[in-house]
Amino acid sequence: RESFQPEPGEWKRFIYNPTSGEFLGRTAKSWGLILLFYLVFYGFLAALFTFTMWVMLQTLNDEVPKYRDQIPSPGLMVFPKPLSALEYTFSASDPSSYRGYIEDLRKFLKPYTLEEQKNLTVCPDGILSEQKGPVYVACQFPIFLLQACSGMSDPDFGYSQGSPCVLVKMNRIIGLKPEGTPRIECIPKDENVASISTYPNNGIIDLKYFPYYGKKLHVGYLQPLVAAQVIFSANSTKKEVTVECKIDGSPNLKNQDDRDKFLGRVAFKIIARA
Amino acid sequence: MGFGGKKGTVSPSERNPSPRPKRRPKPIQKRKLKRKNVEELKQEVVLDDHRLTLEQLSAKYSVDLSRGHTPERAKGLLIQNGPNVLTPPPTTPEWVKFCKQLFGGFSLLLWTGAILCFVAYGIQLYFNEDPSKDNLYLGIVLAAVVIITGCFSYYQEAKSSKIMESFKNMVPQRALVIRGGEKMQILVKDVVLGDLVEVKGGDRIPADLRLISSQGCKVDNSSLTGESEPQSRSPDFTHENPLETRNICFFSTNCVEGTARGIVIATGDSTVMGRIASLTSGLAVGQTPIAAEIEHFIRLITMMALFFGVTFFGLSLILGYGWLEAVIFLIGIIVANVPEGLLATVTVCLTLTAKRMARKNCLVKNLEAVETLGSTSTICSDKTGTLTQNRMTVAHLWFDKTVYEADTSEEQIGKTFAKGSDTWSVLARIAGLCNRADFKTNQEHLPIAKRSTTGDASESALLKFIEQTYSSVTEMREKSPKVAEIPFNSTNKYQVSIHLREDSSQTHVLMMKGAPERILEFCSTFLLNGQEYPMDEEMAAAFQNAYLELGGLGERVLGFCFLNLPSMYAKGFPFNTDEINFSMDHLCFVGLISMIDPPRAAVPDAVSKCRSAGIKVIMVTGDHPITAKAIAKGVGIISEGSETAEDIAARLRIPVTQVDTRAVKAIVVHGSELKDMNSQQLDHILKNHTEIVFARTSPQQKLIIVEGCQRLGAIVAVTGDGVNDSPALKKADIGIAMGITGSDVSKQAADMILLDDNFASIVTGVEEGRLIFDNLKKSIAYTLTSNIPEITPFLMFVVLSIPLPLGTVTILCIDLGTDMVPAISLAYESAESDIMKRLPRNPKTENLVNNRLIGMAYGQIGMIQALAGFFTYFVILAENGFKPFDLLGIRLDWDDRFLNDLEDSYGQQWTYEQRKVVEFTCHTAFFISIVVVQWADLIICKTRRNSVFQQGMKNKVLIFGILEETFLAALLSYTPGMDLALRMYPLRIAWWFCAVPYSILIFIYDEIRKLIIRQRPGGWLERETYY
Repeated sequence: RESFQPEPGEWKRFIYNPTSGEFLGRTAKSWGLILLFYLVFYGFLAALFTFTMWVMLQTLNDEVPKYRDQIPSPGLMVFPKPLSALEYTFSASDPSSYRGYIEDLRKFLKPYTLEEQKNLTVCPDGILSEQKGPVYVACQFPIFLLQACSGMSDPDFGYSQGSPCVLVKMNRIIGLKPEGTPRIECIPKDENVASISTYPNNGIIDLKYFPYYGKKLHVGYLQPLVAAQVIFSANSTKKEVTVECKIDGSPNLKNQDDRDKFLGRVAFKIIARA
Repeated sequence: MGFGGKKGTVSPSERNPSPRPKRRPKPIQKRKLKRKNVEELKQEVVLDDHRLTLEQLSAKYSVDLSRGHTPERAKGLLIQNGPNVLTPPPTTPEWVKFCKQLFGGFSLLLWTGAILCFVAYGIQLYFNEDPSKDNLYLGIVLAAVVIITGCFSYYQEAKSSKIMESFKNMVPQRALVIRGGEKMQILVKDVVLGDLVEVKGGDRIPADLRLISSQGCKVDNSSLTGESEPQSRSPDFTHENPLETRNICFFSTNCVEGTARGIVIATGDSTVMGRIASLTSGLAVGQTPIAAEIEHFIRLITMMALFFGVTFFGLSLILGYGWLEAVIFLIGIIVANVPEGLLATVTVCLTLTAKRMARKNCLVKNLEAVETLGSTSTICSDKTGTLTQNRMTVAHLWFDKTVYEADTSEEQIGKTFAKGSDTWSVLARIAGLCNRADFKTNQEHLPIAKRSTTGDASESALLKFIEQTYSSVTEMREKSPKVAEIPFNSTNKYQVSIHLREDSSQTHVLMMKGAPERILEFCSTFLLNGQEYPMDEEMAAAFQNAYLELGGLGERVLGFCFLNLPSMYAKGFPFNTDEINFSMDHLCFVGLISMIDPPRAAVPDAVSKCRSAGIKVIMVTGDHPITAKAIAKGVGIISEGSETAEDIAARLRIPVTQVDTRAVKAIVVHGSELKDMNSQQLDHILKNHTEIVFARTSPQQKLIIVEGCQRLGAIVAVTGDGVNDSPALKKADIGIAMGITGSDVSKQAADMILLDDNFASIVTGVEEGRLIFDNLKKSIAYTLTSNIPEITPFLMFVVLSIPLPLGTVTILCIDLGTDMVPAISLAYESAESDIMKRLPRNPKTENLVNNRLIGMAYGQIGMIQALAGFFTYFVILAENGFKPFDLLGIRLDWDDRFLNDLEDSYGQQWTYEQRKVVEFTCHTAFFISIVVVQWADLIICKTRRNSVFQQGMKNKVLIFGILEETFLAALLSYTPGMDLALRMYPLRIAWWFCAVPYSILIFIYDEIRKLIIRQRPGGWLERETYY
């Protein structure tokens, strides 16, 4: 039986048939009609989709997302974020190797300068700053709490000395109220290679920065930060260490999840080249 | 032996003037050679040995007709000509068959998909340390689907195509030959040309034989010609046609009774049977219509896939993706177009129909043949056994100058006739007594018509008829014992028996039956209402009329007469039937009884159904034209009021040549006319007549007729039961063999077997075939629709850089999970209109899958479905904090494993894993949205033209399908542990309802579309969207 495979000549005639004026099997009028049909059809669909999306957006609250059950517990993250994996490679003697980091840090800490913070409230330490609105105030986070890593005394955040600072921060979650006394604890994997200093002391995160009320309501909110400074031992020839930080001291902040390696904890690596 | 023009005396052009090329010298290519051989086998059997005198025969084969070959010469001939066996055809090994299932048609598409997946995974593996394994898994799943479906189809078809095995079984094992004057038993394979062979009742004929002597030899040629009656064989040359002459016995037929001696004139493959076998196995079988449709479908789908793939490949390059990523996208898009579940769906749908047909007595051997019957536009039907009951039955009686009709229905109810007449009782007694047939024992529980008998068909018919309508024949025979008889033979054409008279046990009565004209010669008086009158002109004329009338009905007519022998032949008279010593003239004529193999009761109805379904029914039979025409008229193949050229000529009293051929719709073509036709002439006949009967056709001619029909573009179904039919069965688009009477060979060559031998079952098959074609369209439309909501997420992922809305796992869950049962359930859908009232589909223009179907599935319904999915996706992300506009362009950050403080629209920060859970929840929700819109799609796919409200929701399997897919979707979403196994997450109940408006839209849109199609038949919408 013959196959349906068109001959080469038929292909040409399929693309343009001069006798019937057909282009790709349709005349101009036929193309016009079918395109008009789909134009109307898709126009209608687009309108309908837009309408349903609009209806959906109307149901949303601008201040608080409808559901927050997907983020019951905050993740932990470091700053600055290296380009790929969380590995900080730099050389103390080569400023260009860490310029990116300190620029990021400066930019990031800009809102934390005293001038920027002067409109913010001084909140009492150690208690949650629960608010009823309609105006929500943000608490000051004095940058000097970060001490050596504040960038005030050392504009190079320790990189030029070979003792780099890394900021550790807890993800913002609307309405999260930590219990107990949350603090961030960072330990090097190999204590012989390096030791970690955390600022504020003990890596404490004050409860006064909680709860968070969202981008729209909580204008000027400053996320509490913890700085971790890695100080390599003088007698260690190896200048490479993995640091693990985790939230401690708060029973409702998880720091151990099989699947999520960043839930309440974070690990990063510092490689200091000569 | 018998190859065109091989043996000297008959020139091929004389016997066979067809323009087909014959044996040309030295064909160059091997393939050409094979082709040529098949052409050659299609030629008529050319044989001249039956005309030779015994001396010529002896000279031709240089054999002594009483002593046979010398053993030495036989040995030489054996070496020269090879053993007397049929060459088995090159068998396809099982693994090749299996591979055909694995790599044929649709599977190829899936394999391509699988390979592309592996390629994509390989690329990713090469350039990425830790690539996503999705492509690997997808490739494995695709391969698994093909392998599993392939095994399933292979298993389904495992029993078929053993065509030569039954031929092998037919080869007899030993033969009795006479060599060097000595009788010896040798293996049949050692029989050589010219051997003197002796056969007796019960033997199988070891080779084609030309008889030189015989005693009461009868052979059963049914396996060769389809004629079920044993035929007598003698050394006389009785017919030009070697298949009909009495002096030839054919290889592998059976000798039923008597003995015969003959010279072997052909062995092995050159025998008539061998030629048919080689012809059958040498025929190239065409593609089934459904396979062609699937090929067409694959081309369409491939074109779609390439179109999408290339478009978005270009687009992704423009959007600034790297080459590598673009190639991965290209592959991903092409693979996403592959409908993974469709292969299984189509296979299961066809299997289900095959099962349903088997319940209605149509056993389908080849799964794809299920649909072929539905596409059939011409049926070439055999007569005996298919259209007729395959048993001789008394149809008419003529006595007292009146024709009476007997009941020929299968149930034997109703009609009666003048049983009161004394002539009838005399006629009945002659028919019962002058009859050698008898019932076999132990059948008292069976109705008379069903009992089996000994004796030939006519005598059995008479026996049953008398038993039914008169009285017990056994009692009759006890009361009037037979004292002498002259059996029927072809020279006398009559049969005589002498019985003691029942009323006076001292005298005898002579009874005679036979060919009417012979009987009349013996008669000088006739019986009218029980009174004897002298024969006169008027009576002779009445007899002639009646004889012609009954003969014209295609019936076999027998005349009956008797003579009360005078007292000189009283009890104890030694009747000698060899040298007749009694009076055998001045008999008294009683009447005529005519018999026919009557049509089956259901056939006329079935034929008219075929006709209204636009199917041309052609009768192709080996029977005589008059009988064939009578049956054709009886069953409506030649419809009432339809006339052949000969009929018109007779009516108008003009020569046949003057008849206006345009007015003639019916024609009866004799095999000998067909032999002289070239293919144009045959085409002309097939094209210009709607009602065609081919009579006296040979196996080769059947094949030529089938090819002629196919040449005209018809999809041809052929029914047949004999070995003679097997080439035509094989060549036909669908060969239909008879389950009860059919020979094994015909069953092997066929694609379908009618378990009840009833033509009416074919109509059921046509109906089922057409229904499954319609329903497959619906199934495919349903399955393809969900392709769009499966592809668009990936496209949007690429183009808009949003988080992936639907993953590979969920796509597979749809294609191989939730969509399967609903798609299959459409196979149970009932027809929308009377599918037997429309014309057969045109295989060139009416495709299974056409642009309109793709347009509907992809362009319209699929798009609505995709929007439903995206809506749900955006709802979930928005409600969790990621508003739609913030998602655009977020892809790189979203998929960055080390970015664990991604900010949402509300200022909250998400770890990678946290947002991935949301993403997978979106996949699950998108998946469930597709399920929800597929509810509506399933309901709209139930019909192509009618409203669902007209069609109803009677399809219980479909309702089950909807429930099943919903349940399965819920199971996948809510089962604990699914988050780990398939990364599917439980949904909030509200998210199920996001797609509902779109589901309703699909339903309303399609109802409106179908409403317009119904109201404006042939309108624009129908031309563009009716698939």
